Amino acid sequence: MTETMVTTGTTTGSGGSRVLGAVTLLGLATLLLFAFGLTEPDVRLHPTTGEEIGQFDAVRLLYLHVPLAVFTYVAFVLCAVASAGYLVRRTPWFDTMAHAAAEVGTVFCGLVLVTGSIWGRPVWNTWWEWGDVRLMTTLVLFLMFAGYLALRRATVDPRAAALRGAVVALVAVLDLPLVNRSVEWWENRTLHQKSTLGELKIQDLTLFTLMLGFLVFGLVLAWLLLHRFRVGWLEREDAELGVATAIAERRAAIDGGDVDAAVGEDA
Amino acid sequence: MTGPVADEFDLTPSPSRPESSGRRAVPVLVVLLVVAAIVGVLVKTLGDATLVFHGVDAAVELRSDLGDDRFRVVGTPLPGLVETRVDGESAVVFTLCSAGAYADVVHVGDPAELFQPGVPVVLQGAWTAGSVPGIAGLDAPAADGWHLRTDHMVVKHDNDYRVEEGRQADIAACGATG
Repeated sequence: MTETMVTTGTTTGSGGSRVLGAVTLLGLATLLLFAFGLTEPDVRLHPTTGEEIGQFDAVRLLYLHVPLAVFTYVAFVLCAVASAGYLVRRTPWFDTMAHAAAEVGTVFCGLVLVTGSIWGRPVWNTWWEWGDVRLMTTLVLFLMFAGYLALRRATVDPRAAALRGAVVALVAVLDLPLVNRSVEWWENRTLHQKSTLGELKIQDLTLFTLMLGFLVFGLVLAWLLLHRFRVGWLEREDAELGVATAIAERRAAIDGGDVDAAVGEDA
Repeated sequence: MTGPVADEFDLTPSPSRPESSGRRAVPVLVVLLVVAAIVGVLVKTLGDATLVFHGVDAAVELRSDLGDDRFRVVGTPLPGLVETRVDGESAVVFTLCSAGAYADVVHVGDPAELFQPGVPVVLQGAWTAGSVPGIAGLDAPAADGWHLRTDHMVVKHDNDYRVEEGRQADIAACGATG
């Protein structure tokens, strides 16, 4: 008798992922130290009145907000690429990767909206501004990927979930260029600034801390993605193992002549 | 497979059972909700003409077309603010400037926390004819017989994050930051 056995792991951790996790947590602590302790508040003097102007301590939130936004883009692009890969190859690896990237990206996108809102209250004088095109396109992005996740959960058929998800991801990612370029294309409809890095209006410790933020949130994304991918993969293996085990039990019962057990009427 | 009863059983996987109509309705409902939310956001954003920011120069040029309509105007407050009361509410009076055009503003209600001369703001309100309370206290009023009566103020910050001890803000002519 030939049996199909599917083995499955019991943890998403590995030596490498534990090292990555430790480095990530250390990086996060270092970033928080720089962002909220070592960098200076944004204070400038008005040339005429001599009064202090700027964002003051609120600027510290940008060391989290901006890297989170950039890696939201990265996660959603990764999701779209993996979704396209799934549509071409139809292999579970691509689908699991797309699902993992969408989930982590949606969490990042939510954090972008929350940190932006907390920053906006003291700096802009509002928690939320309906007229701001970047806010709106980001909200639409969040809604579309939240819809992606809901859609995947709405069916028990993994192939249908993968196919529907891939299509939605490829549509949703079209919003990314609108989010990114909105401050250039609709300058008179956004409170958001134009690019700071592009015009090099940042320097020294401020620049270092922002770069550190990019590095740290890149690690956070990689770490979360790794574990979420493994969770997805284990779920898939677990489902396959359940089916294989059930078939093996039935075969064993048939081989043993236990007809009642084989047809599930032994209880 | 071996055994006398094995042939009685067909272990070929059968097609999965079709989902119930209730189950099928869920993804449709989710998609409809998401689409409705997205359309709602887009309509809210794109359909509201008051959400476009006019520069002071455009607001002055369009004054007769705008009439009593509410609109948004972006500009930089000039030094010289007057705190007063209008219709029993606290108000701040100042001159707003952009692209070489000036408009006097009566902002009713509390101004933004970071509201200061030299820091660009977006105001929402409408043109009002008549005298400006406290205009004598302004450094360089437009004094053209009109003012903007506004009640919503948000600050539009610049993209400058260079931090140096005692550094002066780059404020160009007409208050625009650069």
